[in-house]
Amino acid sequence: MATQTHGEAPARTARTPALAVGESLAQFFSKHPERRYVMFGGKGGLGKTTFSAATGYWLAQHGKRVLVFSVDPQASLSDIFQMDIFGKGPVKVMDNLWAQEIDADRHIREYQDEVRAKILDMYGLDKVPDEIEDYIAAASAEPAMEESAIFDSVVDILSEGDYDYYVYDLVPLGHALYYLSMAKVYDEWIGKITHLREEMREYEEVAARMRRQKEMAEDQILGELQYIRTRINAASRILTDREKTAFFFVVIPEQMILLDTRKAAELFARFEVPVAGYIVNRVLPPELADDRAPAYLRNRIEMQRGQLAEIDRGFGKTVLARIPELERDVTGLPMIERVAELMYGDGASP
Amino acid sequence: MNERAANGRRASVLAGLREFLYGMTGHEFARHAVATRASLETLFMVTCVGDMIGLPVMPPYYSLRLLPFVVPEIATWKRRVLRERQFSDEHDFELHGV
Ligand SMILES: Nc1ncnc2c1ncn2[C@@H]1O[C@H](COP(=O)(O)OP(=O)(O)OP(=O)(O)O)[C@@H](O)[C@H]1O
Ligand SMILES: [Mg+2]
Repeated sequence: MATQTHGEAPARTARTPALAVGESLAQFFSKHPERRYVMFGGKGGLGKTTFSAATGYWLAQHGKRVLVFSVDPQASLSDIFQMDIFGKGPVKVMDNLWAQEIDADRHIREYQDEVRAKILDMYGLDKVPDEIEDYIAAASAEPAMEESAIFDSVVDILSEGDYDYYVYDLVPLGHALYYLSMAKVYDEWIGKITHLREEMREYEEVAARMRRQKEMAEDQILGELQYIRTRINAASRILTDREKTAFFFVVIPEQMILLDTRKAAELFARFEVPVAGYIVNRVLPPELADDRAPAYLRNRIEMQRGQLAEIDRGFGKTVLARIPELERDVTGLPMIERVAELMYGDGASP
Repeated sequence: MNERAANGRRASVLAGLREFLYGMTGHEFARHAVATRASLETLFMVTCVGDMIGLPVMPPYYSLRLLPFVVPEIATWKRRVLRERQFSDEHDFELHGV
């Protein structure tokens, strides 16, 4: 189908040397059909969006219904699929494949309006008091607002859709770690606040009984607190569910990146994110390093050779794929298909 | 484990309190409960909308969810907390027991 448009691209890059590993990416999916939440994490610009799109493409090609989604305000899925999908809900890209980019700012604005409407309705006001309005504005300006709003909408996406696979084009690692660490703190806080609220209720009950007042209405705040707790837990479970989540780290053969990745992997382990494996991107084909190649290229290949050996030593069998450096950026379905073939083209199917 | 210990402690404090209150007249009892309820209320407001007075505790996305329920308390609460704060400037606001 899309193959003929490859015309302008040079002959397929020669395969990189075979990996000293047991399992491939395709085998991973074929062995773990229940791991339907797929995520690519890693430092900025290493290839997360590229691999998310290619994975969605490959799964869809094998008849799975897939949603690739992102919370990135840069609209990078719009770029790679060459379609304007930002803030438009799930948009069909091809058979079985949908893409969605969440407009977090709009989500926050709509949410503020809901809060205002609720206040007006509860107290029969026609205008939100200034003091409350100021508070809404101040709370919304905090960076933590965006983080928690984003994860809250991810919970909606995962609980409302009926796709076979969800590919979450992850924001850079820092954000995910920030959220996970905060989720634990928040969960504890909310536990404490809930307890406090229950205690308040007990005292109120005592006071009401002594004053012979009627039974209290059900405490709506307790209901809200419980709801908030389930949302926060659902959001962190998405990242930490051993049964359903497959988290892949994207790395490139460069020392600084490997050091950072190792640190991040340790933190992820501490937050119990189940790392399914590593994908090495932008590997230069070693056969380019012949005598006619410019010195800088030979040097880079030599440097990569050292780092690739380091990667094999450090990550061993968890390295599931090596993807070569391509001659151009990955945009549009034909290029996505090509990456999918490089990632998954070894026969196994999901 | 820590939390359970703390909860246990709180429960026994509550039980002790109840026993103690048993000896009071109904009126005293009710008044005490109302007073305790009021100070718990302050603590609760701090945890929900503490960022209003510079003490952020809840994730802002979720504190907005609770906001509608505490609208009537906000005016009196802010006044009370700020007044208490002026009195005890060197004792920074206590959140530890929460
Ligand atoms: N193997 C490759 N060969 C050539 N170009 C690549 C390769 N992998 C990725 N790219 C290009 O590198 C750029 C960054 O890739 P991508 O957008 O997938 O990274 P990202 O990890 O999603 O970045 P961000 O952290 O900004 O979201 C893109 O222009 C992409 O087309
Ligand atoms: Mg990206």
